[in-house]
Amino acid sequence: MFKFVLNDAACYVRSNVREFSLNALRLLPQLPQLSPYDVNLVLRENEFVYNFPVDGVIRSYESNQLGSNWPCEDSRTEASLLHRNGFICGIFDGHAGAACGQVVSKRLLRYVSAATLPRQVLREQMMQGADSQSFLKCHNDNVDFVSMIKPIYEASFLKYVNQLLETPQRDVSSELVNAFLQLDEEISQEALASNDVRTMNVALSGAVACLVHIEGLQMHVASTGDCGAVLGVLDPETQQWQPKKLNIEHNADNMSEVRRILAEHPKEEHETVIRNGRLLSQLAPLRAFGDFRYKWSQEIMQQKVLPMFGVQAMAPNYYTPPYLTARPDVQQHELGPNDKFLVIASDGLWDFLSPSEVVSLVGEHINSKKILEPMRLPEGETTLQEISQQLAERKAGLTRKPVDQNAATHLIRHALGGTDYGIEHSKISYYLTLPRDVVRLYRDDITITVIYFNSEHIAKLHSDVDETEVTAPVA
Amino acid sequence: MWKLLQRSGNAVSVLPRRRCSPGLSDAVRLSSSQMDSADERVLRKRKFQPQQAADLSEELAGQLPVKSRVVICGGGITGASVAYHLGLRGWGGETLLVEQDRVGGELPWTACGLAGRFEPSYTELKLAEYSIDLIKRLAENGLPTGWRPVGSLNLARSWDRMTAFNRMKSQALAWGMHCEILSPEQCAQHCELLSLDGIEGGLWIPEDGVCDPQLVCQAYMTEAQRLGVRIVEHCAIKKIHSEHGKVRSVETTAGDVECEYFVNCTGFWAREVGTLSKPVVKVPLKAVEHHYLHTKPIEGLSPDTPFVRDFDGRIFFRECEGHILAGGFEREAKMVYEDGVIPLSQTARQHPPDWDHFHELLDALLLRVPSFRDATLDRLTNSLQVFSPDCKWILGEAPEIQNYYVAAGNKTMGVSASGGIGRVLTDLITKGSTYLDLHILDISRFLGLHNNRKFLRDRCKEAPGKHFEINYPFEEFQTGRNLRMSPIYPQLKEAGAVFGQSMGYERPNYFDQQDKQDEFGLPRFRIAQTRTFGKPPWFDHVASEYRACRERIGIADYSSFTKYDFWSKGNEVVDLLQYLCSNDVDVAVGSIIHTGMQNPNGGYENDCSLARLSERHYMMIAPTIQQTRSMCWIRKHMPNHLRAKVNVADVTSMYTAICILGPYSRILLSELTDTDLTPKSFPFFTYKELDVGLADGIRVLNITHTGELGYVLYIPNEYALHVYSRLYQAGQKFNIQHAGYYATRALRIEKFYAFWGQDLDTFTTPLECGRSWRVKFNKPIDFIGRNALLKQREEGVKRMYVQLLLNDHDHEVDMWCWGGEPIYRDGVYVGMTTTTGYGYTFEKQVCLGFVRNFDDEGRELPVTNEYVLSGHYEVEVAGVRFEAKVNLHSPNLPTKFPDREREAYQATRDKPDQADLLSYGGVTTVKGTGIPTDGHGL
Repeated sequence: MFKFVLNDAACYVRSNVREFSLNALRLLPQLPQLSPYDVNLVLRENEFVYNFPVDGVIRSYESNQLGSNWPCEDSRTEASLLHRNGFICGIFDGHAGAACGQVVSKRLLRYVSAATLPRQVLREQMMQGADSQSFLKCHNDNVDFVSMIKPIYEASFLKYVNQLLETPQRDVSSELVNAFLQLDEEISQEALASNDVRTMNVALSGAVACLVHIEGLQMHVASTGDCGAVLGVLDPETQQWQPKKLNIEHNADNMSEVRRILAEHPKEEHETVIRNGRLLSQLAPLRAFGDFRYKWSQEIMQQKVLPMFGVQAMAPNYYTPPYLTARPDVQQHELGPNDKFLVIASDGLWDFLSPSEVVSLVGEHINSKKILEPMRLPEGETTLQEISQQLAERKAGLTRKPVDQNAATHLIRHALGGTDYGIEHSKISYYLTLPRDVVRLYRDDITITVIYFNSEHIAKLHSDVDETEVTAPVA
Repeated sequence: MWKLLQRSGNAVSVLPRRRCSPGLSDAVRLSSSQMDSADERVLRKRKFQPQQAADLSEELAGQLPVKSRVVICGGGITGASVAYHLGLRGWGGETLLVEQDRVGGELPWTACGLAGRFEPSYTELKLAEYSIDLIKRLAENGLPTGWRPVGSLNLARSWDRMTAFNRMKSQALAWGMHCEILSPEQCAQHCELLSLDGIEGGLWIPEDGVCDPQLVCQAYMTEAQRLGVRIVEHCAIKKIHSEHGKVRSVETTAGDVECEYFVNCTGFWAREVGTLSKPVVKVPLKAVEHHYLHTKPIEGLSPDTPFVRDFDGRIFFRECEGHILAGGFEREAKMVYEDGVIPLSQTARQHPPDWDHFHELLDALLLRVPSFRDATLDRLTNSLQVFSPDCKWILGEAPEIQNYYVAAGNKTMGVSASGGIGRVLTDLITKGSTYLDLHILDISRFLGLHNNRKFLRDRCKEAPGKHFEINYPFEEFQTGRNLRMSPIYPQLKEAGAVFGQSMGYERPNYFDQQDKQDEFGLPRFRIAQTRTFGKPPWFDHVASEYRACRERIGIADYSSFTKYDFWSKGNEVVDLLQYLCSNDVDVAVGSIIHTGMQNPNGGYENDCSLARLSERHYMMIAPTIQQTRSMCWIRKHMPNHLRAKVNVADVTSMYTAICILGPYSRILLSELTDTDLTPKSFPFFTYKELDVGLADGIRVLNITHTGELGYVLYIPNEYALHVYSRLYQAGQKFNIQHAGYYATRALRIEKFYAFWGQDLDTFTTPLECGRSWRVKFNKPIDFIGRNALLKQREEGVKRMYVQLLLNDHDHEVDMWCWGGEPIYRDGVYVGMTTTTGYGYTFEKQVCLGFVRNFDDEGRELPVTNEYVLSGHYEVEVAGVRFEAKVNLHSPNLPTKFPDREREAYQATRDKPDQADLLSYGGVTTVKGTGIPTDGHGL
């Protein structure tokens, strides 16, 4: 139980203490200095790159994770949607333990992939004995549920699909919202139905989620909590990178969110519902999966939770639950030829870098990666002077040649080591060598996925769409 | 925390995953035949397999002779030249040339076709000169060679480069080569295309020219065939078999050929062909990328455009069939085949061009010749070239197998090298010796470490760039360092040592107390740098070390010296050494003999000290660079009846050698040992096994190789640190000081000591260098070289080793002597300096060198002492002549610590009787000191 308290305290200190104590701690000479080689080993340990084989909207994605908590409480999942041309990926930032984040990261994508499938296809597939994993193909997936838990989750999934089959098809946004809420509800029921400590643990820990669903040119970003998604747009005229934020974090900085919560509870509680920028002065994100300590009724808490975890498990001033919801905000975006990449990341990154910094870093990274390819001479007669000029341009880019191939690693390196005058190795080393018991005060888990769009293909799709639109009225 | 998720690799608690099917196929794959292909790939990585010409082998079956005296492998320009020269020597009918593909390679212009003679050493220059003359001769005989004597123009952008040119010019005149120093304007007259921006001047070599390497190769081949050499194409060597350490036969794809000699001229593939024999012949070479730029034809480009080299821009260019062919040697070459898989065909040697890598060279070219900016590109070729770790050719008989010759590492300059190489290899094969001293190019200059692929990968990045670098004195490589280190290396580093490398051994060159720690407070590894032709930056450090050795006590690391043990049960070891050495080695136990190992012409193959440890056990100390070489020489010349009975072991890596030198060295050593060290019991030039400190079994030699009093301690490695610490600790009260190689070198030059590899080579006889007293003609055995030396004693020597002290040379301002300066006697060129240095006692430049006596027609006359002493000498340093005083004997330097023993010993002298008994027995008889009267002994 102390875990909850400690964890929340850590979050609080992290956001307030980092700035000034950073300098104080840096004076401590005990920290070992890591060599660049060691730093690379640590930063690149969880790198993942996937290049999509066929011509599609997405060219590739790069992802990476740097843990701070032990075990790391962030999760990430990326998958291609089966039975259609689509991609889905999500980042899940757990708190009060990794359990909820891990479970949601695996199950949510399965729910969404089933929900966005046309009902007819879904029905046919289910007739053929499909299970929760039949609708998507995960790319960087090397863990699975242990055998005891798996049947419970399969049963919940079947229940969900049957429910889907009974309701008519809705638009993607509604399906996403429904999937989020439904999954959250099932986590609650699983915990209450069985006396398994594991399912209870899932329900009492929490996770925020940011999920991107892309099918054709339509991209939906569903976000609950304080993860962030930002689109990198290249302005065709100025050749400048523009960030486009695709969600609004659900935290105390978000005024409309604060207003929503206040409106849901009686006036007497206004002082206590959100205090110190936290829900019930404990929880930083204002929406999340799990965290049923803030959702269940007082009766359930009395019956199920308090006997197991003690009185402290109940938050102070817990009068009118639920205080928390898993309902996501969904933003829809139609991909255009200027949309070059999408970055989704847990708040560990956004603590260090702003969306515009992230976009310009990844943008530069794209440009400088071109240098890694061999030079191509223009066709026809070329003078040596022209070649020399072309080489000089490449060389200018060469000085910005990144240390990392992977854009996600590039971002982590800049987040930890970025200074006004470039990357400082000692700063990264400092962040990476902080003792395990205090490291959470200085950096949170960082998880990043960078998705690169295939602009040529998008442009082609656009022109196809335009043509059909033009021809349609005539026909 | 309860684990919900587990790694799928952990099979116990995890359900089988969907990924099981690929897993299954993995298992299948492992058991199937694909395993072999994986295996093969690994093997191929490690083991070179020559091209299989299966379809042609039947056709060839009849063509291949069963027996051929010489088999040459490789039909490139080098192989062709060797074949041609063997033909000239009348061995044509007994020579077979085997080429895996087609002779001359299939791709023209992977070389620039320069036939030039700008080479750093006499040997290389003479070989190149011969090649050019040969190409000219072939052209005169009507063979197509593409030869055009356009001259070569070498540009300098810096003052140091001009100094290098001036030095070159001084040498060139002496060596009979024409060249001119040009002002920038004169450079422009030779080549109008040039921009003179930043040019300080140039060097013009009018007799250089360009040719077409492929035509030259064809010309050699045609001539060789005419002279009876049989050439077989599409036939690869599979194995070279040896018997009793000698070549016996070769196995080819078209059958076996019995042979006496094998010549590996496979160039690019020489290292891999070396692996086809047992034992493996080590030919250290590494492939790097090398670019050539071809433009489309340029209008108005004069066909007489000289071959231009802009050394500081690292580029060269020439005219070639109306267009420009340009290239260069980048500072850091690009490695290829890091995984060691070697392409088999010429085509596979071609790589896609790396423009980014060539960029620097391209810009340097466009800067030098602005008009090329408008030239259009035809192509940039990138072919692989191999370089040796010291960027020198590799020649000679392999140390591993007798009669196995190697000619490789021609580093893109095959045309300039081939003729000369063909000639000297033919000489070596047919006569056993040649007309030039080859030791700097000899394959026995390497150790096993040089053939390590990782070492080559490290070092050969740097090698091509050396081509165009200024040839500064004591140049060091920056890569492939910290390889061989003595056990006391960390202590030396901490004491401020700045290192130089010799045979991979890190040797302190001098000690510098400034800036000796890195940012973590750890001792920094520093590489010695001179990078000037004038007063070197280490001058003051060496001066202080020198004084310590002369006045107090110095401690130096001699560990790199070659050390061999010789022993036998019976008296065979004495017989062997008596046969190999020119001095008498049958001396009292405990004596040290300084002796040469002469070749049949009387020249020094090795110059060493032998300590007689016991009746039948000797220890040999030889120069560092002799480690591979002297073993070859001993093995090759060991009489058959002794072969099984005498043991020769290279113990170089078993002992650490620490030298303490200076007037207090005896007092210091006696503090650490109980043995009586007074001259009576442990005289100069003797050996004792001592206990030092708490250690035992230390071989102590009462010599220092520098002319100072002192001892060299050969310490078993595990005791080295102990003994060093004790010496250093006990030496504190005498203010002991570390001395580096430069200091000991300065000592020995001033004392007129000759060193093998610097002053002495395979063409120098003891009679020429004042060491006839070390040749015992009356030994009861006909040692190698005796007849030649006797003959020379009759006829008189043709050159004589002298010491010259330069007058009026200001060491602060004037260019220094660094070896290779011409010596003038009464205004006439008489010879070259070998080693030179600053004499800290004389406070003068000291040059050692050889003086000859030419008559008006250039014939060499005997050189007598009168002749030497009667002349007026001058030494030309980078174009400026300095007056010099000549010495024939080791001088006695003024000292505050007179020592009778030391004064009696003169390393270089002409009278055999002087202090000769020093090397005998325990009794030291000191006869006459001081400067001897001029003798007539020769």
